[in-house]
Amino acid sequence: MSMDVELTEISDFLAAHPPFDDLPRQVLDRLAQALRIEYFRRGTRIITRGEDNHALYVVRTGAVELHDRHGGFMDRGAVGTSFGSYTLLQGNPADFEVVALEDSLCLVINAATFRQVSAAHPSFEAFFDLQSTSRMRGAVASLHVTHNGGAILKTKATEMLSRAAVTTQASDSIREAACVMTKHRVSSLLIMDGDKLVGIVTDSDLRNRVVAADIDTGLPVSCVMTPDPATGSADALAFQVLMEMTNRNIHHLPIIGADGAPEGVITTTDLVRLERNNPIYLVGDITQAADVASIAEASKRLAQVVEVLVTQDASAEDIGRIITAVGDAVERRLLGLAEAHLGPPPVAYCWVALGSRARQEQALAADQDNALILDNDVQPEDIDYFAALATFVTDALVECGYPRCPGDIMATNPRWRVSLNQWRSEFTTWLTEPVPDAILRASIFFDMRPVYGDQQLFHKLRKHILTQAPSSKLFLAHLTKRAGENEPPLGFFRGFVLEKAGLHRATLDIKRGGIGAVVEIARVLALSIGTRAVNTQTRLAAAVNAGSLSPERGQDLRDAFEFISYVRLRHQAHQVRDGRHTDNYVTPDDLSSFEKRHLREAFAIVRSAQSSLGHRYPSTYIS
Amino acid sequence: MFTNARSAESTRKRLLRGIQAGPLHDYLATALPDPSMSVRDLSLLAVDLETTGLHPKRDRVLSVGFVPIDGLSIDLSGARRFVVQAGVEVGQSATIHGITDDDCADGTPLEEVLSEVLAALRGRVLLAHYTDIEERFLSAACERVYGARMPVARIDTLELHRRLIVRWGEAPMRLALRLWTARERYGLPIYRAHEALIDAVSCAELFLAQVAEMQADGREITLAKLAS
Repeated sequence: MSMDVELTEISDFLAAHPPFDDLPRQVLDRLAQALRIEYFRRGTRIITRGEDNHALYVVRTGAVELHDRHGGFMDRGAVGTSFGSYTLLQGNPADFEVVALEDSLCLVINAATFRQVSAAHPSFEAFFDLQSTSRMRGAVASLHVTHNGGAILKTKATEMLSRAAVTTQASDSIREAACVMTKHRVSSLLIMDGDKLVGIVTDSDLRNRVVAADIDTGLPVSCVMTPDPATGSADALAFQVLMEMTNRNIHHLPIIGADGAPEGVITTTDLVRLERNNPIYLVGDITQAADVASIAEASKRLAQVVEVLVTQDASAEDIGRIITAVGDAVERRLLGLAEAHLGPPPVAYCWVALGSRARQEQALAADQDNALILDNDVQPEDIDYFAALATFVTDALVECGYPRCPGDIMATNPRWRVSLNQWRSEFTTWLTEPVPDAILRASIFFDMRPVYGDQQLFHKLRKHILTQAPSSKLFLAHLTKRAGENEPPLGFFRGFVLEKAGLHRATLDIKRGGIGAVVEIARVLALSIGTRAVNTQTRLAAAVNAGSLSPERGQDLRDAFEFISYVRLRHQAHQVRDGRHTDNYVTPDDLSSFEKRHLREAFAIVRSAQSSLGHRYPSTYIS
Repeated sequence: MFTNARSAESTRKRLLRGIQAGPLHDYLATALPDPSMSVRDLSLLAVDLETTGLHPKRDRVLSVGFVPIDGLSIDLSGARRFVVQAGVEVGQSATIHGITDDDCADGTPLEEVLSEVLAALRGRVLLAHYTDIEERFLSAACERVYGARMPVARIDTLELHRRLIVRWGEAPMRLALRLWTARERYGLPIYRAHEALIDAVSCAELFLAQVAEMQADGREITLAKLAS
C-alpha cells in the first residue's frame, strides 16, 4: 500500500543545523515523524521560569531570546537554534525563560524522543551537554553585562581572534620556532605535541630564557617554553579573557575551541584594539590628530564603531548623536588645522552644519552639508581667505569619508558663504516670497547648527528666522505640501513599493519616504511654533508641548522615527560587516517578519500624520 | 458560520439513522466539535487533496495528505499521505501535482484511503486552504462509496486570511489570497507546493499563525468564530 510519510522538507531543515547535521538520514526521517510544530507570536513566553519544560525546541522560522533567572539577557536564538535542553538534562523546573522575539515557528521534540536520540548518538548528546554548561556560564557573565555596554563586556573571545593559531611541534628546535614566529610575524607561538597544546613561547621568553641565559638554540623548544599554559575558551567573553590575563599577569592567552584544538592567541594589543572602537576614544583620537591624514585614518573607524553600537542595541537616537559627535569633531579639528595653515581669520565667522548633522541624526554615508556665516564687517578682500578655508575643509572632509553635497550646499559655494545680513535677507526671501522650487532646496537651511567659530553670528540669524517663520503661512503651506509628497511605502504586504529603476532596483528607499518624511513633518511643526529645536525628536516633543501635535500622535511619530532609523542603522551595520558601501536602500528579503510588521505600522503612522498636517496648512494657500 | 455548523451537526444525526455499518457510520457516530469550543481545546485535521481537476462530479482525487492539530500543536506523528488508485488518467493535471499514471496504478484503493481519512477526521474539524475543494471531493467520494454525504465542521484558512486582510484595512486581492502569499506574510517556511502532505502541513502552520494573530488582543476564540 502506497502510504508514505516523507516529511522531506522537515528532515532537510534539521540536516542543515547542528547537532542534527551529524545524524544519519534515516534517523532524521524518523525524527521528523515524531515532531510537533508550534507557533509563537512575538512576545509569547515559550518556556516560563519556575515551570516545567519537557521538550526540546528548534527554531524553524523567527527568533527567540533567552533570559536567566534574574531576567537578564542570556542569548538570542535564530533559525536552527535549539533550546530547552537544559531542563531535559538538569531537571525541572526551568530557572530560565525563553520568549519569542519574532513570530516563530518551532519544531518540538518530546523528552522521550530526545533521550532516545541522545542515547543512540553520542555526538548529539555531547552537543547539548556543552550547550547547557556554556549557557550557564553565559548567564553568570550576563549579570555583569546588563548595565554596561562596553565592547569588552560583550565581545566574545573568538570574535577577537585576528588569525588562526600559529603552532610548532615540541620537538622542533628553538631556532626553528623563532623562524616560524618571524615568518608569521607573531609575538607568541603555541607548542604542540601532536594535536595537543603543551606549551607557549613568547618574544620575551626568547629574550630572557634563551639569549640572556645563553642557551643553545639547537635544543628542542620545549626546554624554554612555559608548559601547560593557561587557556581561555572560545565562547568566553572578552572581559573574562582580560581578567584571566590580568590575574595571571600574562600578555598572551591561547583560546581553545570546542574540539580542544587551539583557535588562536589573544594578546593585550587585541584587547586595547577592542576598546579603540569605543566612540570616546575615537573622538579623542580625532581631536589629537596632527594632520588631515591622521583624521582621515581615525574617521575610518566610525563605521566599525557604529557596527558595534548596533550589536549592542544602542538606540538609533543615541547612535545618531554619536555619529554626529564624530562628524563635529572631524570638522572642528579640520577648521583648527585650516586656521593654523591660513593664519587667523580677518573677521569673525561661524561654520554651521546643515541637515541631518545639524539635527544630530547623521547616519553613515551622509554627504557633507555646511555653510559659513561671516561677520557683517567682512570686506571684499577677505573673501579669498574664507574661500581657501572652505576649500581646505571640504576637500579634507572628502578624504575623511564625507562625500561632497551633490546639490552644492557647501561653504565652497559663494552663495552659502556670506555675511550675517545677507543670510538674513536670503531667509526673508524664502519666508515671504516662497517659490516652490526654491523652498525645496532651501528647507535644509532651516536645520542649522553652529559647529565652530563665533556662535553669536548663528544665534542672531536664528532669532531672525524664528520671529518670522510662525507667521509665514504661505511658506508653511509650501513646506507642508512638500512634507506630504514623500509617500511612505505603505503597500507593504502587497510587496514593498520598490525603487523602480537604476542600481537600487527592487529595494526600498528607507530614507526618503520614511525618515525624510518624519523630518519634514517635524520641521514644519517646529517652524510654525518658532521653537529653537532642530533635532527631530526634540521638535516633535516641542510641538506636543505647544499643543500643535496631540501627545498620542507625537509619541507615535517619535516611535516610528526611532524604529525606521533603527532599521536603517542595522542595514548599514550589516553592510559594514560585509565590507560593502553603506546606503539607504533596504532589500525586503533582508528584513525579518518582526521588522516588516513594525515598518508597516511605522509607515502608516507617518502617512496619517502627513495627511492630518495637510489639513492644517491646506494647499489652497498655494492654489 | 454558526448556522452552518449547527446544520452540519443535524445532518450528521439524520444520516446516522440510515447508514450501514462501516467507516462512514463510525465517522457519523461521533458528534462534530461543538461551536462553542475554544480554539485552544480544538482538534482539527488539516487536509489537502490533489485532484484531476476542480469538479467533484467529473474529476477524481489522486492524492490525500493530512496532519492532525491538537491544542494548537501540529502532530507530525499523525501525518499521512496516500496516492489513490484513481482508475482514471491523470492527464494534464500531472503538471501541477507531479503524480503520474504509474504512481496511481501503485496507489491505494479509494475505499481504503477514504476509510483512513474518515477515521482520522472523527470528532475533528476539517481544516483546509479553500475547504470547498476538500469537502466537496471527499463528500462526493463518500456518496459514491457509501451512498451518503459527509457532513463536516470546517475552517478555511483562505477565508480566515481574507478576514484578517480586511481587518488590516487592505482590499482582498486575488493574488494575495493564494496560500503561498499568505504564508510569506507570517514569515513561515516556503515549501514546494502541490504535494498533498506538505500542503496540509503548511496549511496547518498558516492556521496556527492566523490564530496567534487573532488572539493577539487577548480575546477568547471559539470554533463558531472561525468556522466557514
